[in-house]
Amino acid sequence: MKYICQVCGYVYDEASEACPFDQLPDSWQCPWCKAPKTQFKPEQAEAPAEEASDAADDAGADAGSGLAGGSGFAGDAAGADDAGDLKQLSPGQLAALCTNLARGCEKQYKEEESKLFAELAAYFTAAVPPAEDASVEALAKQLQDEISLYPGTRAAADIVRDRGAARALVWGEKVTRMLSSLVSRYLEEGEAMLADTEIWICTACGFIYIGETPPELCPVCKVPSWKFEKIEGRR
Amino acid sequence: MEKYAVRNIRLCTKDCLCLFVCPTGATDTENSIIDVEKCIGCGACAEACPSKAISLVPTIYPIPPRKEDTVVAAMNRLSAKKADEEAVARKIAGATDKDGLYRLMKAVEKSIRLSNADVLRESGYLLPQGDEAVALLKDWLWNPPTPDFPKETAEKLAELMGINS
Repeated sequence: MKYICQVCGYVYDEASEACPFDQLPDSWQCPWCKAPKTQFKPEQAEAPAEEASDAADDAGADAGSGLAGGSGFAGDAAGADDAGDLKQLSPGQLAALCTNLARGCEKQYKEEESKLFAELAAYFTAAVPPAEDASVEALAKQLQDEISLYPGTRAAADIVRDRGAARALVWGEKVTRMLSSLVSRYLEEGEAMLADTEIWICTACGFIYIGETPPELCPVCKVPSWKFEKIEGRR
Repeated sequence: MEKYAVRNIRLCTKDCLCLFVCPTGATDTENSIIDVEKCIGCGACAEACPSKAISLVPTIYPIPPRKEDTVVAAMNRLSAKKADEEAVARKIAGATDKDGLYRLMKAVEKSIRLSNADVLRESGYLLPQGDEAVALLKDWLWNPPTPDFPKETAEKLAELMGINS
């Protein structure tokens, strides 16, 4: 039997390993991305044809409820079929949008424009109302909820063959699975988990890695290690 | 398509072939930025550069295909969720005095921001010069979202991007 890491795609093939997957200790981690054992799925469960059609079924319902103003994004309450309302974004979303535009300008070597969009991002970040329940437990729950949004969102992209959106969703899900595992692990292990070790972030996709040095390639988006940034403590 | 040369200083190995081949002396700058006033977009520097640090970019970018409303709606739901999570991580980081938790929450906050920026990029905001981004910028100029919105920043951007408000 083969087991696949849902974060980076690493294959644990029992045929070429000494230990059956079930007998690996719970503390065992993915050799590539350090995702926990719980992020591995047996290969069969990932049968592509079945998964795609299931996801497509979900999507019908999911995209539909979004349009009908079910829940979630700002502008819900207003006319559901008005395309303009779909673009009503919260301050937190506008902050991320400005970060995206700043990055877009940076890639085009437009430094001044990039700096100005970053300033707008900072303004919108400061305009976000403080979170009500700011506990690690609440964050863990929210990340779990987010993971459940991916199949429906992915199907909405696949139905109209939006390859760009599908790509962003693949990275987004993997990165979020890693965040979710790390936050859950912190809840169990506390500060001991991070004592005497560094936290690294891939500046291309947001993948988080715990270790002395960053991985040679990002396990999610495959950029080289110099694209990783160390997260500094309080100065 | 009109183009001009740009240099990625991270890749430049100072072989200086660009200086030898540039017909207008646009590449001899100290700060790595090729002089756009002098560059004629001939591409000689990019071809000669042994470290592939120079590339040609267009003056005007092609407009990306429009996103379907169903995709935008689904992506926006995801994006709203990410924005809420980011606020939680930021608040925990701001309140804690534990070093591990502080770093983990900073990492989570940055990670969510990056991945949310990516989701929004694929919801119609791929190009800063695209219709959606330009419409948003115009809207901010006409109807600032709050009284303390930094209008001058948006005005400067509109001017640099050649947007008539």
